[in-house]
Amino acid sequence: MVDLLQPILNGILLGGLYAVIAIGLSTIMGIVKIMNFAHGDLMILGSYLSLVLVSWLGANPFLTLLAVIPMMYIVGFSIQSFLLNRVLGKGLDPPLIAAFGLSIILQNSLLLIFTPDARTLMTALNVMKIPLTDYLNIPANYLLDFLIGIGVIFCLYYFFQNSYLGRAIRAASDDEGAAQLMGINTKNIYAKAMGIAMMTAGIAGVLVGMTFTFYPHTGSQFLFIAFGVAIIGGLGSMKGTLAAGIILAVSQLVGAHFLGPGYQMVSGHVVLLIVLLVKPQGIFGTV
Amino acid sequence: MGEKIYKARLYVPGILVLALGTAPVWGSEYVVFFCLLFCLYLALSQSWNLLIGYSGLFSLAQPAFIGLTGYTMAVLTSYYGVNLWVSLLLGGLLSVLFALFMSLFIFRVRGIYFGIITLLFADALLLLFGNWEYVKYSQGMFIKPVHPPSITVIFYMAFVVGVGSVALIYAILRSKLGLGLMAMRDDEEVANTTGVEVFRCKLYCFLISAFITGLTGGIYYTFQIFIMPQEAFSVSWSIKMIFMVIIGGIGTIEGPILGAFIHVLLSQWLAEYFSVSMLILGAIAIVVILVAPKGIMGTIQEKLGFEILSPRWK
Repeated sequence: MVDLLQPILNGILLGGLYAVIAIGLSTIMGIVKIMNFAHGDLMILGSYLSLVLVSWLGANPFLTLLAVIPMMYIVGFSIQSFLLNRVLGKGLDPPLIAAFGLSIILQNSLLLIFTPDARTLMTALNVMKIPLTDYLNIPANYLLDFLIGIGVIFCLYYFFQNSYLGRAIRAASDDEGAAQLMGINTKNIYAKAMGIAMMTAGIAGVLVGMTFTFYPHTGSQFLFIAFGVAIIGGLGSMKGTLAAGIILAVSQLVGAHFLGPGYQMVSGHVVLLIVLLVKPQGIFGTV
Repeated sequence: MGEKIYKARLYVPGILVLALGTAPVWGSEYVVFFCLLFCLYLALSQSWNLLIGYSGLFSLAQPAFIGLTGYTMAVLTSYYGVNLWVSLLLGGLLSVLFALFMSLFIFRVRGIYFGIITLLFADALLLLFGNWEYVKYSQGMFIKPVHPPSITVIFYMAFVVGVGSVALIYAILRSKLGLGLMAMRDDEEVANTTGVEVFRCKLYCFLISAFITGLTGGIYYTFQIFIMPQEAFSVSWSIKMIFMVIIGGIGTIEGPILGAFIHVLLSQWLAEYFSVSMLILGAIAIVVILVAPKGIMGTIQEKLGFEILSPRWK
C-alpha cells in the first residue's frame, strides 16, 4: 500500500502538466469545433523553440517562456487564419485533413532540421527531489509542472469569464450567427482563440521539455494524452480539464505500477475507452 | 453522349490492367517492384475510401489490421511452419474478427469521436505487441516461410489484391448495398428514413475494408520479410491512406487509383528522403483540400462529367 502512494502522488502532480497539454486542444474543440490533430506536434514545436533559444542565448529554459509564448501565439493565429478558417463549415473531414497535413509537415520539418536525436531542456530541477517521508518524495520538476498547470488553468478561466475577448470567444462559440449580428468578427475571434490555445501549448512544450526527453515524433504520444484529458474532462471545461488530467495521470502511473512501465499508456487508453463508451460528453459536461 | 463512347471507355481500364498484369514480362525488376507497391497502396486507398467516401467512417484503425495479419503470418510461419498463403488468409480472417470485436464499441460514438476511438484501438495493439514476449517485444519478427516466394509470385498476389479490391468495390457499388451506401454518402438521415439499413451497411463496409487491408498488409510484410510493431501498427499507414484518397478524390473509384500512383511515384522518387516525400504529400493534401476539396478526380468529374468507372451506368 505504501508502494502505491508514490505513483499516486506523482500522478497528481503530473496531472497538472497533462491539463496544460490538453487545455489548448480542449478549448479549440469546444469553441471552434475542430479536432486539432496537430496539437501534439505544435506543442513539441514549442519545446524545440525553447531548445533553440537555450542553445543560442544560454538562457534558462524557464526564461525562454517569455519568447516562446508570443511566438506560439503568432503561430496559432496564422494557422487558424490562413488554413483552418478556410476549411470551416465544409463538413467534418476537411478541417481534420488540414490538421493531419499540418501535423505531418511539422513532424517531418522538425525531423529534417533537428535530426531524430532525443533532446531535453536541462535545468537543476531535473535531479532534485523533496523528501517527505523515508519512502515518499516529491520530484521537484513535477511539482513545478503542477503549480504552473494550476496557474495556467486559473488564468484561462479568469480570461474567459471576465475579459471582453474571452466573452466574445464564448459568444462566437455558443451561436456563431448571433455573435456576427452583434458585430463580432467570428473568423478573427477563432484565430485569436487558436493563438491563445497555442500559447498554452507553448507553455506545455517547455514544461514537457524540462520534464521528459523529446524528439520530433513525440508529438503524437502527447496528442493521445491531450485527447484523453479533453474527452474525460468535457470539451472546454477548465475545472474538468484539471480533474481529468489528474485522473488520467494517476490511472496511467498506477497501471504502470501494477503491470510494468510498458503498460503506462495502455492503462490510459483503457480509461479513455471506458469514458468514451459510458459518457462521451465527458465526466464534467461541456463549457 | 453516344453509346459507343461509353463502351469505348471500358478499354481504358482494360488496357491499364493488362499493362499492369504483364509487368513481370516487359518490365525490369525495378518496374515490377514499383507496380507491386502501387497495387498494395491501391488496395489500401480503395478500402479506406469505401469507409470515408461512402459510409462516412473516419477510421484510423486500419494499421491494426495490417499489423495483425503481418504478425499472424510471422508467428504461424516461423513458429509452426504453416504454409505462407494459408497464414495470409488466416491473418485476413483474424483482422475481420478483430474488426467485429471493435464494432461492439466503435459504432456507439459518432463523427470525430469515431476517429479517436479507432485510433485508440490501433495504438493499444502497438503498445501491447511491443510488450509481448511471444512476439519478441518491439525487436520485431521475421516472416520465414519454408519456401520463400519469388518477387514475381508476390507481385501477382499484390496484383490480385489491388485489382481485385477495385473490382470488388465497383461490384459493391453497383449492388443494392452500393445503392444504400451512395444514399448514405449524400444524406445519412434521408437514407435512413427511406429504408436503408445504415448500421448494417456501415458494419459490412468496415468488415470488408478490414479484410482487404489485412491481406494487403500481409503481402507487404511477406515482401519486407521483417515486421516490427512500431512500424506495422503505425498511424503513418492511416495518414498515407488519408492523403492518397484526399488527393485523388474522396468518394470516387478513380480517385484512390490516382492517389496511390502519386504516392508511390513520390515515395520512390524521394526514396532516400522519406521525410521530404511525406512533407510534400502533406503539402499537396493541404493545397487540394483548400483549392479542390473533392480531389483531383472528383473535381474533373464535376467539371467535365468525365467518369471512367461510373457505378451508375446501365
